[in-house]
Amino acid sequence: MIAAVPQRLRPLPDELATPMRYRLATCASGEPAGIATDRAEVLRYLGYRGQAIDEALEMRIEHIADELERALEPHGTSRIFSVAIATDASGQPCIRLAGSAIELHGRDAYRRLKDACAAAVFAVTLGMESERRLRALAARGPVAAAVGDAACTALVEAAADRIDATVRHAAAAYGLSSGTRFSCGYGDCPLSDQRALIDALDARRTLGITLAPSNLMIPTKSVTAIMGLFEGAPAHDAPTASCAGCTVRNGCAFRAHGDVCWRAPSPSAKESV
Amino acid sequence: MNTTSIATSAPLTARLRAGGTWKPRTLDTLRIADAELRAVLEGRRNLVIDGAMGTMLQATGLAVGERPELLSITHPAQVRAIHEAYVAAGAEVITANTFGANALKLGDAATVAEVFAASIARAREAGARYVAGDIGPTGSLLRPLGTLSFDEAYELFAEQARAAEAAGADLIIIETMTDLAEARAAVLAVKEQTNLPILATMTFEADGRTFLGTTPEAAAVTLDALGADAVGINCSLGPAEIRPFVKRMLSVTSKPIMVQANAGLPRVEQGKTVFDIGPEAYAHAVAAIVEDGASIIGGCCGTTPAYTSLLAELARERTPRVRRIAPALTVASAQRCIALPAHEHRIAVIGERLNPTGKKRLQQALRQENMDYLASQAISQEEQGADILDLNVGLPELDEVRLMERASEQLQASTTLPLQFDATDPVAIEAACRRYPGKPIINSVNGAAESLDAVLPIAAHYGANIIGLTLDDEGIPATAEGRLAIAQRIVDAAEAAGIPRERILIDCLVMTASTNQEQVAEILRAVTLVKQRLGVATTLGVSNVSFGLPARAVLNATFLASALGAGLDAPIINPGSARYMDVIRSFRVLNGEDAGSAAFIERYANAPDPYQQAVAAPAAAADAAETAPVQTGDENSIEHLVISGRRGETRRAVEALISQVDALELIDAHLIPALDEVGRRFDAGTLFLPQLMASAEAAKAGFDVIRAHLGSTAATKGAVCLATVQGDIHDIGKNIVKMLLENYGYRVFDLGRDVAPEAIVACVREHDIRLVGLSALMTTTVPAMADTIEQLRRTAPGVKVMVGGAVLTPDYAREIGADFYAKDAAEAARLTEACFADKPYA
Repeated sequence: MIAAVPQRLRPLPDELATPMRYRLATCASGEPAGIATDRAEVLRYLGYRGQAIDEALEMRIEHIADELERALEPHGTSRIFSVAIATDASGQPCIRLAGSAIELHGRDAYRRLKDACAAAVFAVTLGMESERRLRALAARGPVAAAVGDAACTALVEAAADRIDATVRHAAAAYGLSSGTRFSCGYGDCPLSDQRALIDALDARRTLGITLAPSNLMIPTKSVTAIMGLFEGAPAHDAPTASCAGCTVRNGCAFRAHGDVCWRAPSPSAKESV
Repeated sequence: MNTTSIATSAPLTARLRAGGTWKPRTLDTLRIADAELRAVLEGRRNLVIDGAMGTMLQATGLAVGERPELLSITHPAQVRAIHEAYVAAGAEVITANTFGANALKLGDAATVAEVFAASIARAREAGARYVAGDIGPTGSLLRPLGTLSFDEAYELFAEQARAAEAAGADLIIIETMTDLAEARAAVLAVKEQTNLPILATMTFEADGRTFLGTTPEAAAVTLDALGADAVGINCSLGPAEIRPFVKRMLSVTSKPIMVQANAGLPRVEQGKTVFDIGPEAYAHAVAAIVEDGASIIGGCCGTTPAYTSLLAELARERTPRVRRIAPALTVASAQRCIALPAHEHRIAVIGERLNPTGKKRLQQALRQENMDYLASQAISQEEQGADILDLNVGLPELDEVRLMERASEQLQASTTLPLQFDATDPVAIEAACRRYPGKPIINSVNGAAESLDAVLPIAAHYGANIIGLTLDDEGIPATAEGRLAIAQRIVDAAEAAGIPRERILIDCLVMTASTNQEQVAEILRAVTLVKQRLGVATTLGVSNVSFGLPARAVLNATFLASALGAGLDAPIINPGSARYMDVIRSFRVLNGEDAGSAAFIERYANAPDPYQQAVAAPAAAADAAETAPVQTGDENSIEHLVISGRRGETRRAVEALISQVDALELIDAHLIPALDEVGRRFDAGTLFLPQLMASAEAAKAGFDVIRAHLGSTAATKGAVCLATVQGDIHDIGKNIVKMLLENYGYRVFDLGRDVAPEAIVACVREHDIRLVGLSALMTTTVPAMADTIEQLRRTAPGVKVMVGGAVLTPDYAREIGADFYAKDAAEAARLTEACFADKPYA
């Protein structure tokens, strides 16, 4: 491994360098400012495209989403590292996060982080209770299983949004702007890069997230993400998620199914795939 | 089953059958460094362990995320210096730098033996009084939630244990475990591979549970019974926050308790990571824990030699007091610990429904390995009030050993109730107990020498509770005294095998009142005698008493009440019977278990008296969300009900028609066309996925009625094997395909998720499968799909393969050699129909 080229490596303010931990209570648990499952997102994950839904099905979906919201409390952790540009084992430029073993490969990560002074890395999970709940729902039947899966996905995304916003806010207090978050396994950023990320966040110990040999996270309802922090405006970073700048857009399996890997930032943008 | 597979599934039984010997593990069978360490293990002396290694290494500038264990080889002086600082501070045990040194984590960087040899050498060089080989989690999650098998985890730990002993460790510390299954695998590996003392700790969160839901009680009783010489808590939180969890452990085990708390949470100050509890505050909080009774103390994340020297001081000043815990039978799953104290009468209901005897649907589910059905039965018993679940998978033509293992594993993911393994074959009992994350019950052993010799070593070795039946080669004695004599023999034999009497339940065996009426009173007397004379818990299979008589439930309920009055602790009953549960809940008021009658009042305050109810009870309970009136007489309504996904109404409509209309007509003219129509609408986008599935569920409810009507004569169109490929854990899509194919009349062998190619090949060969459906959701697991197809081509050339999953495309499917690509579940059903009709699918 070639050593990192020291580049714009300024020490981070203590407050930003301190690892943060989050317990994200849900509204359903009685926390007024808590996170909530976006019901429209649940439907979207279930493939909803405006079909007529009868009340019985709507009730079933609502019941499961509510039950999960009450039962689950997402936990997360974030940490900010200085960004360094390096060369990986195959001679390609890559992004290294100083003080960690994280090395992000591929053009997408490079493009998003090469002008960043730091990167926030975070992980959030619904915990093993979500796995158990999903198993119990699966025993009730496939409808419950699919609805539960979609509801959990929407909830963990809401939790990720909350951490995203918190980090963004903290960085802004030090005059840093934040880029759009991205994750390993999307675009050309290999899923295998996730292992170092989980290690650097100590997410196994602090959140109970483990990686299967295939680099999938367990609990499955977990999200890891990386977000560039910039002095001034985020450079080379699309203001909203889209497929336009993605390097694997032509061979993308999501697009082959008329889907996308990213989530539209606002309800109004949902129809535009 | 051949001998090699017994050696894997049940090594102890294999050894005993081969003429080998077994003796219980005690301190006398261990290699203990000196008398002082022995005093520690007997709870007579405090012991001081060092503090954090990671914190100290990070202070030397190690990057986050690198394998710190390798530094014992690459930077010996720095590692030795850290150990020396802890020795100088007064640590008696130096924990070698081997926490993550397993084959999985080390990869090609170094061998496990090399890292243990170097790390233990560094600790010795530092002048440690005792050197501990350190074993942390594998880093992979075990099945059923994860992908690593118990046996694979065991092998990783076994390699570490052997390496530690070979390198001269004095003891083994197993720590930072969050998964009780993994902690058990580690303790078992060290116990079977070495003669070293074992100290085992787990890590708890602020809610008093590990990430996988294990409570301090469940951890303590399980690891104690398995053979850990000390149990406890490490890492987690600060010492003050840990203290209540330590107290909970102290109340359930008499083994020495070990505590290694964190120095709080890390934060950055002037660019350096610091922790928020200083040495004095930390030592002050640990002193309180030592006063409570913990005797082995050390530090975890954030602690340094400054903390250790204060701990050493407080350990030196104190001698542990003798602890006495109230004897109790404890039964534990990974999430829950049920305790029946010897000196208070408490009741635990053992649910009997997971036993195929006389249950056709369960028999069918076991034959088809439909584990979801078992899970749903477990969940309903849990909801009905069972405390423990009996699991029996014995059907003459099935592989009981493999099924017991599989069912036990699946149930662990869907119920938190502890299991009771009900089998006669010691191999099945051992296979399940060896891998069970908890402290189960074995059902059962009896007074015959052959049974005692085969089963007691299993219960002792794996730390299980055991039910002793009061019968032997001579049969069941007629008198209470006769039963007591056999119970006495069982208890004596168990204690000789190292099983304390708190782990024994005696079943005095219920006789039928219709044929042995005079025996009923003897049974009740035997229960009382056994409890009084032997001080063990009792169990009974209650419903035998009414065999051959009418109104069985009435008689059973009365007998249950009498038996509880005689002292019965753990009745084996159907918790689905309101009558039995009425008895249980009311008795819990009478014996003082339901404090202030709170649970009773909550349940019955507004409940109608069942004897005051009108006679006309509803014939079938309606699904909660589906209360619309049934339209009978109109055959077309079935189609409509299926398309609109109304399960309960479809079932009732089919029930109404089944006696008037030919079953095949119902299927071919109504249910199948409805499903076809649903598929078309789904394709057209007028229905979305949950609607497709709700329709499939509705159709299934109809098919279930028809199958019950036809009995075993129902033909299937053919057999299909479905699996999510190895490495992938997404199974929702596969499960939808399964339900649709079953609706279309196929027999589906569902192998589950994360399935090895070999298992799929074996299923195809065993059941003469013509079509295999494979699912993969991640690009990273598509190679596993390709590998599976390649193996199928080589070993079962005739079989067709259909693939699906979010990341697949028709081109990709062709590339990996699949015959068919199904873009969704509806298409999978159509492809299957075409495949079995030998027609090309267009």
